[in-house]
Amino acid sequence: MAKVSFHHNDGNVDVLDVDPGTSLMRAAVTNGVAGIVGECGGQAMCATCHVYVRPEYLDGLPEISEDEEEMLECTADPRDEDRSRLGCQIKAGEGLDEIEVDVPASQI
Amino acid sequence: MTAEAIAARPVPTADWVTIEDLYRNPFPIYRKMRSEAPVHWVPAVNRYMVTSYQACHTVENNQEIFSADETNSLMKRAMGHSMLRKDDPEHDVDRKSYGSVLRPKAIKEHWNAIFQANHETYLARLKSAGPGADLIWEYAAPYAAENLRLVMGFHNATQEDMQRWSQTMINGTGNYADNPDVWAASEKSYNEVDDAIDEILPYLRKNPDSSLLSGMTSMPIPLEAIRANMKMTIGGGLNEPRDVLGVAVWALLSHPDQLAQVLADPALYPTVFEESVRWVAPIGMYPRETTRDTVLEGVQLPKGARLGVVVGAANRDPEVFEDPESFNINRPKKPHLAFGGGNHYCAGAWVAKASVSGIALPQLFAELPNLRLDPERPAVDAGWVFRGMTALPVRWDAK
Ligand code: HEM
Ligand code: FES
Repeated sequence: MAKVSFHHNDGNVDVLDVDPGTSLMRAAVTNGVAGIVGECGGQAMCATCHVYVRPEYLDGLPEISEDEEEMLECTADPRDEDRSRLGCQIKAGEGLDEIEVDVPASQI
Repeated sequence: MTAEAIAARPVPTADWVTIEDLYRNPFPIYRKMRSEAPVHWVPAVNRYMVTSYQACHTVENNQEIFSADETNSLMKRAMGHSMLRKDDPEHDVDRKSYGSVLRPKAIKEHWNAIFQANHETYLARLKSAGPGADLIWEYAAPYAAENLRLVMGFHNATQEDMQRWSQTMINGTGNYADNPDVWAASEKSYNEVDDAIDEILPYLRKNPDSSLLSGMTSMPIPLEAIRANMKMTIGGGLNEPRDVLGVAVWALLSHPDQLAQVLADPALYPTVFEESVRWVAPIGMYPRETTRDTVLEGVQLPKGARLGVVVGAANRDPEVFEDPESFNINRPKKPHLAFGGGNHYCAGAWVAKASVSGIALPQLFAELPNLRLDPERPAVDAGWVFRGMTALPVRWDAK
């Protein structure tokens, strides 16, 4: 299992153990994590699965594809040049056994 | 049996629902149904209607149990077997064939200039029709049709062709009464679209542009899938932007406080768009089918149940939206389901937003001073599977 932590602005944290290969968006949506919407089901079409990845995990991430890059310009909360990613494009357990992200205040 | 199935209750029947009432105004019906149960069997519609937000959301996100590949689908007969009636992985192949054509970068680089030119053409048409003209038929419908024609790459058709194809094939997808005249008109359009595709593909191969059909020429996708997907996109990409445009104008003109707020702050037009599609979802209901016995939000459903996912009702669920029946651009932002969700999430959402709230709405209100409803002829809203304005006569002052 891979460990994913979603940190919320109010200080609460959702910690999930998920099957490796599960996207952060899917993990959040199936476990009812607040603040991750994932309208488009992971097609990099809606930008409602925006997360800020904590700096210590950035090195293990896959590169940003063209589609993801385009969507990161469409997020509701401002993009962070280093830390902003789409939750649907990051899979838990692939290169990272553990990951921690901050959930933006708004997705729409 | 699982504990869940034991606790589940049988699905209630709503035999009091009629198509006529739904067509006129579905919202009081949805309100009553939602307060009773998240799902009903509705004999008049011959489907299980799913009306709560949570239940619609669950269906959208589980294609293993809630399949889009419906048996005896009228849409397959009217338009062919498009991506909208496939599950993954087959769906994904078709969806990828649309490439980047409908995405924000292409909109910025190619489509916005075209939408702007089309806006100017049909605004001029509306103005020359003069005060009292119908905003839907002189502006919104041809504007949406011409935008879609160029995005799709039908250089050998007119916006009038697009409107006729769209409406006649949509009528086919809803032809539960099996009316032969409806089938004849739908089949005629089916054949015309196939012919237009056959004619334009070789042209686009030689003269590529940014359109969907041009992109298809270099995609490993069978002609049969192209034909079905194009027909579905004609049916799903024209009436909806037209209808959100009409509903948004009508809503603002009927809520003077909110209109004043928007006129003072044009950055609010995207919010107007989102609230308009929440309030009146242009696609009010779409189908799914269960692949096994299941329990949906505590209600038992048999295998093979034909569902209607009523996002028009989900978008007014009081569990999610406060005072849901009101049009209110100042309500707290919550995700609505008007574009669907999950793997079939609308491929044209960005195009719809760019053309309607990026260009049409702000410029209509800027160019038509004191735009107002015609006091002599009422605006008419109608429909439930598809809902929008069927008449929107407006007046304005000379500039
Ligand atoms: C406000 C305008 C629009 C609304 C409310 C809307 C709504 C929807 C909905 C609810 C679905 C999903 C239906 C289902 O899951 O069965 C959908 C799918 C789709 N829409 Fe839209 N639509 C709009 C505009 C457009 C436009 C302008 C285009 C094309 C340029 C378009 C192209 C599509 C396509 C291709 C699909 C199928 C996606 C798939 O199956 O993966 N739509 N739309
Ligand atoms: S779920 Fe839509 S972009 Fe990630």
